[in-house]
Amino acid sequence: MELLPQALMDGILLGGIYITIAIAFSLTYGVMHIIDFAVGEWIMFGAFAGYYLNKWTGLDPFLLLPFVFLIFALIGYLIQPVIHRVLSGNKGNPLLMGLVFTFGLAIMFQGIALTVFGFYSNSTPSVFSEGSFFIEKFGFFLTISSIRLAGLIYALAITAALHYLLKKTNFGLGVRALALNRDSAGLMGVNGKQTASLVYGLYVGVSAMTGVLIGCILSVSAQMGTEYTIFAFFVVVLAGMGYLAGVPWAALLLGMVQSIFLIYFNPGHTLLAVFAILYIILLISPRGLFGRGV
Amino acid sequence: MKDKSIHWGLPILLVLIALPAVIQDTFFLRVITEAIMWIGLALAFDVLAGYTGYLNFGHGAFFGVGAYTTAILMMQAHWPFALALPMGGVLAGVGALIAGLPTLRLKGAYFAIATWALSRAVQQLALIMDITGGPDGMRLPSFLNPQFFYYLMLAVVAATFALLWYLLECSPFGLKLKAIREDDQGAMALGLNPTKLKMQAFILSAVPTGVLGGVYAYWITFIDPASTLGDLVSDQALVMVVFGGMGTLIGPVIGALLIFAFKTLFWAYLSDFQLLYLIILGAVIALSVVFIPNGLWGTLRGARSQKKTEEKKDEGPAAKLSPSEGE
Repeated sequence: MELLPQALMDGILLGGIYITIAIAFSLTYGVMHIIDFAVGEWIMFGAFAGYYLNKWTGLDPFLLLPFVFLIFALIGYLIQPVIHRVLSGNKGNPLLMGLVFTFGLAIMFQGIALTVFGFYSNSTPSVFSEGSFFIEKFGFFLTISSIRLAGLIYALAITAALHYLLKKTNFGLGVRALALNRDSAGLMGVNGKQTASLVYGLYVGVSAMTGVLIGCILSVSAQMGTEYTIFAFFVVVLAGMGYLAGVPWAALLLGMVQSIFLIYFNPGHTLLAVFAILYIILLISPRGLFGRGV
Repeated sequence: MKDKSIHWGLPILLVLIALPAVIQDTFFLRVITEAIMWIGLALAFDVLAGYTGYLNFGHGAFFGVGAYTTAILMMQAHWPFALALPMGGVLAGVGALIAGLPTLRLKGAYFAIATWALSRAVQQLALIMDITGGPDGMRLPSFLNPQFFYYLMLAVVAATFALLWYLLECSPFGLKLKAIREDDQGAMALGLNPTKLKMQAFILSAVPTGVLGGVYAYWITFIDPASTLGDLVSDQALVMVVFGGMGTLIGPVIGALLIFAFKTLFWAYLSDFQLLYLIILGAVIALSVVFIPNGLWGTLRGARSQKKTEEKKDEGPAAKLSPSEGE
C-alpha cells in the first residue's frame, strides 16, 4: 500500500502528457472527420528527431521543442492535401478510404523507422533527467522526478495554448465552426481547406513535440508508435468523442492505469487492462465516461 | 445486375482440384495452398470492410483464436483434428459476438481502432497464458501430407466463397448490408436492424477466418503469438482487399493472388531486405487508395460497365447513368 500514492503521482505526471496528444488528435477529428492512424508514428518520429538533434547539437531536448514543432508542422501541412483529396473523392466510401490511407501511412512509417533506426531502444538525455524531489507527509514517501514534472508543466502550457487558440482567436472560431458544420462554415467565409491543413500541421507538430518528451521520460524505439495510437484512441473514446473537456480526465486515468500496472503488475499487461476498461466503458456508456460524446 | 463472372467459378474449381496431379513439387503445392488460404482470409475480411463498411483491424486475432483453439484442443484435450477444427471456427464466432457487442456501436473509424486494440490485447493474452505456451508458442503433431492440406484448404475456401456469394450477391442479406454501409439511419428507417445485421456480418467474417486459422495451425505444425496473432495477417488481408477491390468477391481473390505472388517472390529473392516489405505494403495501401479507390477489379469493371452504358446511350435516351453514390 505504501506504493499507491507514488503510483498515483506517477500516473498524474504521465497522464498530463497524454492530454496534449489526445487534444490535438480530437481537433483533427473534429475538422477532418477522420481518425489518423499515424498518430503514434508522428510521436515516434518526433521522439527520434529529439534524440538525434540532441546527439548532434548537444542542446537540451526542451530547447529543441520549438524547432521540432516547426519541422513537423510543416510536414503535416504539406501532407494534409493528399488526405483531403482521398476524403473528398466521390468513389467508394471516402471516410473508409481516409482511414485505410492513414493506416497505410502508419505501416509505411513504421517500416521506414525500422529500416533507418533499427530495433534498438534509446532514451534522450536532458538536464532534468537526473534530479528529483522528495516529499514526506503522513508517513508516505513520494518521489517526483524532475523530468516528469517538467513534462507535466509542458503539457499544461500546451493545453493552455491550444485552449487560447481555440476559444480566443478567429482561427479557433473557424476551427470550431468547421467541426460543427463544414458546409455552413464554408458559407460563412471559413476557408475549409486552409484551416484543415493548418490544424493537421498543428496536430502533427504537437504530437512530435510530445514525442520528444516521451523520448526523455520513457524511451525511443521504432516500434513504439502503435502503443501510442491505441492510447490516443483510448483517451478520446473514454472522454466521449468530440467532448474536449473530458480529455484531461481520461488522459489522467490512462496515466494511472499505466503506472499502477508498472508498479503492481507486469507492465506488459497494460494494453490488456486498457482494452478491458475500454470494453466495459463502451458496454455501460457508449458515449464516454461523461455520456457527453457523440 | 447479375455478375456473369461467376460462370468462371466451376472451371477454375475443376482445374484447382486437378492441380495436385500435375504438380509433383511439394514446394509449389505449399505455395499454392498458402495462396488459397490468403484468398479465404481476404474474402472474409471483405464481408465486413467492403460490404458493411467496417474495417476490422483485428482480423488477425480471429485467425489466431482459431489456430490456438484447434491447437489447444488437439494437444491438451486430445481431440481429433476433425472435431477441433470446427471448434476453432465456433470460438472465433463467439469471440466476434463478444467483441462486437460494444465495438459495433462505434462509428466506423472508432470500430477500426477498437478492433486493433483488441488484437493487441489478444496477442498479449496469448503471451502470458500457460495454456498457449506463452512466447514459445505451441507445437502440433506433424501430419506430412501436402495433398491433404491442399484439398482441405481448397474445400474451406471454396465453401466460404460459395456461401458468401450466395449470401452477399444472391440473397437480400447482401443488399441489407450495403444499405447499412451507405446510410445506417436510412436503413433503420426502412425497418432494418443495423446492429443485428452488423453483428451477423461480423460473425460471418470471423468464422471462416477461425477455421482457416485451425487448418493453418495443423498444416504449419508450429504457432506462436507473433506469427498467428501479429499485425501481418490483418495488414495483408487489408492490402489484398483494397488493392483488389472492396465490396466485391472477385476483387479480394485477384488482390490476394497478386499480393501473395509478390510477397513470395520478395521473400524468396530479397529476404535480406525484409523490412522493405512493410514499407512497400504501406505504400501499396496508400497509393491504391489515392489512385484506384475502387481497387483493380472495381476499376476494370467500372470501365467496362461505363462503356456499355455509353453504347446504350447512343441507342436511345432511355438509358441513364445512375448518379454516383456518397458525398
